[in-house]
Amino acid sequence: MAHVSIPSYWKTLPQRYCLIGMKCKNCGTINFPAREICISCKQKSEFEPKKLSGRGKIYSYTVIAAGSAPPEFSEQEKLAGSFPVAIVELEEGLRICAQITDYEEEDLKIEAEVEAVFRKIYEEDKVIRYGLKFRPVKKRKSLP
Amino acid sequence: MSIGILGYGVYIPQYRINKAEYVKAWGRFAAAGIEEKAVPGFDEDSVTMAVEASMNALDHAKVDASKLNAIYFASTSSPYAEKLVSSTIAMALGAPPRVSVADFTSSTMAGTSALLLSLDFVASGRGHFALIVASDCPYADPGDFLEHPLGAGAAAFVVGEGTPIATIEGSGCTTIEALGERFRKHGEKFIETLGIPAYTQAVIMNTVTSSVKALLNSTGRKPSDFNFVVLPQFDGRLPSGIARKIGFEETQFVPSMIVSQVGDAGAASPLIGLAKVLDEAKPGHKVLVTSYGAGASSDAVSINVNEEIMKRKGAVSSVKDYLADKKYIDYIYYLKIKKMI
Ligand SMILES: [Zn+2]
Repeated sequence: MAHVSIPSYWKTLPQRYCLIGMKCKNCGTINFPAREICISCKQKSEFEPKKLSGRGKIYSYTVIAAGSAPPEFSEQEKLAGSFPVAIVELEEGLRICAQITDYEEEDLKIEAEVEAVFRKIYEEDKVIRYGLKFRPVKKRKSLP
Repeated sequence: MSIGILGYGVYIPQYRINKAEYVKAWGRFAAAGIEEKAVPGFDEDSVTMAVEASMNALDHAKVDASKLNAIYFASTSSPYAEKLVSSTIAMALGAPPRVSVADFTSSTMAGTSALLLSLDFVASGRGHFALIVASDCPYADPGDFLEHPLGAGAAAFVVGEGTPIATIEGSGCTTIEALGERFRKHGEKFIETLGIPAYTQAVIMNTVTSSVKALLNSTGRKPSDFNFVVLPQFDGRLPSGIARKIGFEETQFVPSMIVSQVGDAGAASPLIGLAKVLDEAKPGHKVLVTSYGAGASSDAVSINVNEEIMKRKGAVSSVKDYLADKKYIDYIYYLKIKKMI
């Protein structure tokens, strides 16, 4: 999570704002983030956008301790002292790395069900970088 | 097929600060009728709150974001004084690039302005579906009593063609020039007031009363025709004053009261109040929603609740669900989380 320039952040907005992955037309694997060569079949295939559900489980997590956060997160660290980052295994089977928010200590455990939420990730050069975090499943009811 | 409200949803952040915390810090809590208020988390703002309320509204309306022709955002606390944020919301929801957007800012009346204009957008044939979302967390100087009632929340409505859960019967408006009540100059972070309570009170009461009279005249309705009435909730006392002046009973306006638990959520308040009564309303019920923006203007909107609402009950989290999901914080944490220290 080092410095990301505005143009490269901008290019990846569909992935950062609403979990759009790229589905390989050759083997069907969802590549997230998008890649030139499919991670599964290793072909320079064609891809189609595929929106991921945003529901998943904590696969593993770590708590970023005071003093070890990247500079863009220093303000957040000052407030919370530390903050959790998890590898989330999505329903679709792939794993992504994101912060956990709106949690209680007991929510931080392997296999805990989480859902994506749109939040401020950090602010740099006065520009707010929005993106997705995950929170314990409790709030939004899903439709039958 | 008719045009109206197809669905709605709200969002209230989980953090709450209560009256006792203010009393500890300041010796008093200068917010009549407020027990506790909602506070956005460190990583939340009017944009992130808007996204969650909008997702609930789209689910409730069973309208996919890809179908949206317009997105209107209403707030007094957009994180940018210049730069659209309806575009941010559009992308987060997955709306198509051809969506028409607008940010309605600088007034606590912005929510009803956007709602009424979204109906005009659809009625004029510019598009089939519009989403309006009012999301707000107003800021004032922590040393100013004006800060005490300020809360946070969001409400979104999907307006379009289909089988509406509610339809708009008519609206009334009153606009006058008023000075020195709630205002915020360019470049300022905090709202201010010249602090003349009797004057402010009188301007609000007269403007709202007049917009309601305009509505009653144009629709031929009388105050007792409405099952629910949503009155401006800058604090918990104002609604009863306005109700007395117009002739509404407590049973009409109390069900819409959210200020005692959410605080003053600026442009979002009238629409969260509307969402709360729609959660409880039955087909055939009539709802009157009013808003007020300093400077000064007021909208009054008459809404008929339709049969379709019964099919959508409980489809998404209700106002009650969000009010029940809460986590209390102390005053120091409140100042930190709102980035005021
Ligand atoms: Zn492949």
